[in-house]
Amino acid sequence: MELKVIENATCTFCGCVCDDIELHADDVRIHQAKKACVLGKSWFLNHTAEKKYPDALIDGQPASLDEAIEVAANHLYEADMPLVYGMSNTTCEAQKECVAMADLLGALLDSHTSL
Amino acid sequence: MLRITGGTIYDPANGINGEVRDLYIADGKFSSKFDAGRTIDATGMVIMPGGVDVHTHVAGGSINFGRARTPEDHRRTHAFIRSKTRRSGLGGMAPTTFATGYLYAGMGWTTVNEAAVPVLSARHTHEELNDIPIVDKSSLVLLANNEIILDLLEEGEDERAKQIMAWYIWAAKSYGVKAVNPGGVASWKYGNDSKHLTSKISGYDHITPGTIVTKYAKMIDELGIPHPLHLHCNNLGAPGNVETTLETMRHLEGSRAHFAHLQYHAYGGDDWGNMRSEAARLAEYFNAHTNMTTDAGAVLFGDTVTITADGPWQHLLYKLTGRKWGNLDVENETGCGIVPYTYRPSNLVNAVQWAVGLELLLLINDPWRVFLSTDHPNGACFWRYPEIIQLLMCADYRNECMANLPLNIKNKISLPEISREYTLYEIATITSAGPARSLGLKHKGNLGIGKDADLVIYHQDKDIARMFGHPRYVFKGGEIVIEEGDIRETPDGKEYLIQPFYEPDIDEFLRPRFEDRYCMSFENYPVEMERIEHAQIQKCTGDDAEDGDSQ
Amino acid sequence: MGGKVTCTLGEVKNRADFIVYWGGNPAECHPRHFTKYTLMQKSKFLPRGRKDRTVVLVDIRETKSAKAADHFLQVRPGKDFELLTILRALIKDQKVSEEQVAETGLSLEVLKDLIEKMKAAKFGVMFFGMGLSMTRGKHMNAAALLTLAAEMNAFTKFVAMPMRGHGNVTGADVIMRWQTGYPFGISLNRGYPRYNPGEFSTVDVLVRGDTDCAFIIGADPGATMPKPAIDHLAKVPTIVLDPHVTHTSRLSRVHITTAPAGIAAPGTGYRMDEVPMPLKPALQSPYPSDEEVVRRIRETIALRPDWMTNQPQMIEAQI
Ligand code: SF4
Repeated sequence: MELKVIENATCTFCGCVCDDIELHADDVRIHQAKKACVLGKSWFLNHTAEKKYPDALIDGQPASLDEAIEVAANHLYEADMPLVYGMSNTTCEAQKECVAMADLLGALLDSHTSL
Repeated sequence: MLRITGGTIYDPANGINGEVRDLYIADGKFSSKFDAGRTIDATGMVIMPGGVDVHTHVAGGSINFGRARTPEDHRRTHAFIRSKTRRSGLGGMAPTTFATGYLYAGMGWTTVNEAAVPVLSARHTHEELNDIPIVDKSSLVLLANNEIILDLLEEGEDERAKQIMAWYIWAAKSYGVKAVNPGGVASWKYGNDSKHLTSKISGYDHITPGTIVTKYAKMIDELGIPHPLHLHCNNLGAPGNVETTLETMRHLEGSRAHFAHLQYHAYGGDDWGNMRSEAARLAEYFNAHTNMTTDAGAVLFGDTVTITADGPWQHLLYKLTGRKWGNLDVENETGCGIVPYTYRPSNLVNAVQWAVGLELLLLINDPWRVFLSTDHPNGACFWRYPEIIQLLMCADYRNECMANLPLNIKNKISLPEISREYTLYEIATITSAGPARSLGLKHKGNLGIGKDADLVIYHQDKDIARMFGHPRYVFKGGEIVIEEGDIRETPDGKEYLIQPFYEPDIDEFLRPRFEDRYCMSFENYPVEMERIEHAQIQKCTGDDAEDGDSQ
Repeated sequence: MGGKVTCTLGEVKNRADFIVYWGGNPAECHPRHFTKYTLMQKSKFLPRGRKDRTVVLVDIRETKSAKAADHFLQVRPGKDFELLTILRALIKDQKVSEEQVAETGLSLEVLKDLIEKMKAAKFGVMFFGMGLSMTRGKHMNAAALLTLAAEMNAFTKFVAMPMRGHGNVTGADVIMRWQTGYPFGISLNRGYPRYNPGEFSTVDVLVRGDTDCAFIIGADPGATMPKPAIDHLAKVPTIVLDPHVTHTSRLSRVHITTAPAGIAAPGTGYRMDEVPMPLKPALQSPYPSDEEVVRRIRETIALRPDWMTNQPQMIEAQI
């Protein structure tokens, strides 16, 4: 099968954020991550497009995405002092959504940096 | 549709000076017809086109570095509380993005030009601009210390340099070119500065700051960029620098040029003890040469944080004040420095600076060529503009303020001899019509039919600062955004950019030079068009056709 | 006094002839830092690359990175602040006693040699890692190092930069700053941002039991935080967004699987020097992106009645 090649892909595993990686991938997994270091390689190669996990878990039981969003929103809305935390391994676009949500909730907002 | 009746209109772009007229608005523009809809009675009120800020620093790595350096200010300043439809924010010296939009619109400003964008972090600047609500935006890219372009000028490859300039503007999705301390920032990277137009630039033998300013102004004119070279002269802030400024102006005869924050470039004397205003000399030259525009970069007393791409000046300020210093050098392109600062009336240097800003605004006789700015946040925060308007409109108030200056300021400033008072028509010119024209934004700062319906309605008020600080209504794109101090709507603003022409093969020429200098991939460097929300590409060249079509 | 004097990584690549790594182990934690940005690159100003650069490593133990350095300075654990303060004194030719120096585990001779080299540099840079900023003294250590770099500018060009760790933590920092004014440790419960790291930082909040619902994204505190904090996460409703079912997922009430950022979700990530990079996903995930899921949760919350009404639009002075 012909592998798709992505040039100048970006690795966000560490703060170097190398953007010169050449990825060779099929529909399911990345087979090669040229120029990436050992950490970057294993990061790229360990993620796949397989459906390894259920869409969501509610109280440990598999659930649909829609249900999970509803329940999550409910918990957050009902809380007096919700906390929004993390935001390391995600995109800036998701981070902006997190800050917007925290603003709406009147939440505590914190990242890895405070550790 | 909407009708505004009975207001007294000041619309310098159309020569309307205080006439009572009705305005009609349809589809976000001024219209000649009104069939049905809401009517707003503005009888007894003053109407002007929405303010346009030609030079401010509101988005991107530098101001965000400033925010990081001033948490103590965030906690004492006013706070905007979030509502169901509106984000929270903090005002102060370096306001958050959302608060920036509320504060500008809150005093009737509807367009702002972010004056310093490094291409390398232009993505960041645009993300912040996207998060500034209500106002329309444009930005200028920092190129005067770009070593790839300087190398080409050094090699005599002027045509290629021009092409690369065009490439960079489009890569940054920018609206024009800003030059900061041309050559001086490049020297700063070796710890040096280039203070005069004939100074050596570290690392170069054939070019000087003088070469850069003249060639850049010419290249910008040839590329047909709507806004001329936006120039922060060499030798900012230093006693005696008026010579450098005049020398720069002489270099630029025959080209268009915009001189940023002229206040910081108009000093005589040769040390801090005998520093004096040379605003009168500068204004005289400026008045006689109509190829130039300028913004005041006025100073107000109080706390602020100074942020410029002028690294060497910031290091000097740090040494003078001993306060926190931040500096950020950007590879191949530019640098930026940050120092919190308090302007005090009792401090002779600060008092001279305060006077110089006002003198320039009062002594330059053509309001179409001098614009209101504080070089936010450097001279003062932009939300203090109403105080400057009061100083310009009331000679008595000016005199009152002058009583607080040190006695030994006599003979160092000319402000006490100036009796001029701005009219409302002139205020509308320096805050809106003039800067819009200089930026080449033909549909801004203009209440004519078909133009963007951005306008502000003020109560008549003897207290000028209160009048301009608390508009009755502010309209942006035909929509009421502010009503009697309340934020009604927070629509997204548009962002203006240009796409100057360059030969497609320039990419291949640039690539090896780029890879030599930078440490990100050439392909990843240009900002993708999808990242600009509500982008409007403006035309280059002298094309008179109406711009502003959505892309 | 003091401040932060920094630059983008390309400046280091192009100009830095003197490079210090303090409390970090780039060889193992940021493997391409040496080759891509610092040691190995050649440039117009440093045509011989590695040969034109001097590299110093300061750490409490000899890590793999020491091999790459010209000089290794082993500082006694917990004595970083003292060492930095001594260096600040030495650059200004102030007197420092042998005993004070000895406490840091180094000799005056070594430090004087270091100062000489720093001053002789054309462009110096100091990178500092978790070993400096997360041990005894914490942000005081980082501040001392930043001040040292700022003060070095009286002699030559000098800059400093933190070696930011995992993923896009820099992006979170940058975004929170422009949207709220503060980088982390924020409370929005009064309707506007307030900042107080000790009070609002997550570990403290969890250990005190001061939250009644936790939303965790792009992190796995269940694997890294102290036990009392994890216990509290298990007690309150916790919601996790992650490409994997993590330790935190296992103690959460809701886990939502999302597409891994940069591999199957597009967007932006910030490099440690705050330069934004576009992400180019190679795979199409069967799961939605974090961005999409957070937006949908926010929109669902926004449909409910607002919990905060009758607030003024703005307050002049914060309480
Ligand atoms: S490739 Fe290696 S050094 Fe580069 S970002 Fe990924 S993990 Fe870091």
